[in-house]
Amino acid sequence: MTWKPELEELARREALAAQMGGDDKVRRQHDAGRLTVRERIHRLVDAGSFHEVGALSGVGEYDAQGALKQVTPANCVFGRAALDGRPVVVVGDDFTVRGGSADASIGNKPLMAEDMAAELRLPIVRIIEGSGGGGSVKTIETTGASNLPGGVGGTRLFWRTTANLAEVPVVGLGLGSVAGLGAARLASTHFSVMTKASAMFVAGPPVVARLGQALDKQELGGADIQTRSGAVDLAVDTEDEAFAAARRFLSYLPPSVHGLPPVRPNDDDPQRADEMLMSAVPRDRRKVYKMRPIIEAVVDRGSFFEMGRNFGRSIIAGLARLQGHPVLLLASDPFHYGGAWGAETCQKVVRFVDLAETFHLPVVYLMDCPGFMIGLEAERSATIRHGVRAMAALNQSTVPWCTVIVRNAFGVAGAAHQPAGRFSLRYAWLSASWGSLPLEGGIEAAYRAEIEAAPDPQARLSEIEERLNALRSPFRSAERFWVEEIIDPRRTRALLCDFARLAEPLRTPGHARFAMRP
Amino acid sequence: MKHITVSADVAGTVWKIVVAVGDRVGADQELLILESMKMEIPAAAPQGGVVRKILVAQGEAIAEGQGLLVIECP
Repeated sequence: MTWKPELEELARREALAAQMGGDDKVRRQHDAGRLTVRERIHRLVDAGSFHEVGALSGVGEYDAQGALKQVTPANCVFGRAALDGRPVVVVGDDFTVRGGSADASIGNKPLMAEDMAAELRLPIVRIIEGSGGGGSVKTIETTGASNLPGGVGGTRLFWRTTANLAEVPVVGLGLGSVAGLGAARLASTHFSVMTKASAMFVAGPPVVARLGQALDKQELGGADIQTRSGAVDLAVDTEDEAFAAARRFLSYLPPSVHGLPPVRPNDDDPQRADEMLMSAVPRDRRKVYKMRPIIEAVVDRGSFFEMGRNFGRSIIAGLARLQGHPVLLLASDPFHYGGAWGAETCQKVVRFVDLAETFHLPVVYLMDCPGFMIGLEAERSATIRHGVRAMAALNQSTVPWCTVIVRNAFGVAGAAHQPAGRFSLRYAWLSASWGSLPLEGGIEAAYRAEIEAAPDPQARLSEIEERLNALRSPFRSAERFWVEEIIDPRRTRALLCDFARLAEPLRTPGHARFAMRP
Repeated sequence: MKHITVSADVAGTVWKIVVAVGDRVGADQELLILESMKMEIPAAAPQGGVVRKILVAQGEAIAEGQGLLVIECP
């Protein structure tokens, strides 16, 4: 006598789990242009690599004789898998079962997924659709009591949702309507992606309508809203692109804070000197230029992976490789307020410097910053407090750091270009220019009495400007050793690759001194 | 035919309007230059088309996100 009947029942129950919310619900999901959670996992991970945990969980229905009729599976599917050969944890909401809501969920499933990622030191990819949280208001009728969020003994998932940011890479993919705890799990990641057809919000249109705001899903929490607000890092057209973005992001990172970013073979010549760099920055100081081609010219060809492009746009942030070594790259975008740092830009700097510190990524900063944003709006948004937070993030960092001053470095934000209080590498381009404050506008303030007393104030202003401009040359600063190196911009790639090689043995695995916050 | 409003990426003032109503423009072509943070920051056409409306005047103060021009695209 073997255990054949039980083996058959196991197979039957696994087959029931594979049916998800049933044919009708699966068809409805497909008709809306979305994949089911099992299709999503299948397309995200390496072929055949998914090892599911908890497939049998759900709500069983039995006949009068106690024989199983049906199982409605729990609407969380999770397990281990491989992405490009590297192990990860994947956890996904099943929208075909009660709209992915907690009404049909078993709270310990997403919790075990998060625990497993932390304990096995593996990245986690959260595939999110629905609310996945306190369920609908109907729940109060089925339970007969009102749920205190977290309640007694129910806080671990909330804890893991943020605590894992200090342990393992966390990626969130918002594929559909994402609300409540679902939105929190998407925002509480190192890298979040949504499809352009998706929407994310704290509460959806029917709830918001009660405020008198008549908005559809897209108007309330579409990709335009959420990528500009900085709540989501990237919007893509298709779910497959979202999976590709998750794989690419993870390719730069270690499996956990206990490992180091993987160095890959690279065939791009570290000595490659792009001629375009000699003319990339216009001589006319009022003219802007495109920073992204400069990035492409200095990092390994095709290796730059930008994140959060629509938010805090004075800073371009992303991951890149230098001779195969992953780095966190920051670069100014002069097209956005000349590269000046506003409150949002400062928040972006904090987040990405913290990401680098958490996962031991050396930082490269291609700098062109004329200062913090000025004016009434800037004061109203607490630019200076967000600014000193960004400075604190730089100063608390311990990862190797290299700054290239491409053009401007002015004011307090001008100082925030390298971690203060420790050694880091720094190069200034021939186009570099710096000061406590820019000459333009600064002269009127500093020489007011002299200018006002002159017979021709405008002529005197120009005269002073000419006099001071002559002193602005970075070579004069170099004489005083106020800057250590001025370089031919075409040497930038070679020097950055040199930095990556020097940084390699300095990268130290382990927990950062602080736990990264979302 | 669809109409696209090109809006300002930055707050500032209109420094120079480069195109006129009726002009045919290509993708990425400079349409108008704003002055912001003492820099000249161009606004470019997201795609090719014909300039149908100019919504701002030279010297006008512009808020971030404000519409600048309307382009009719094929």
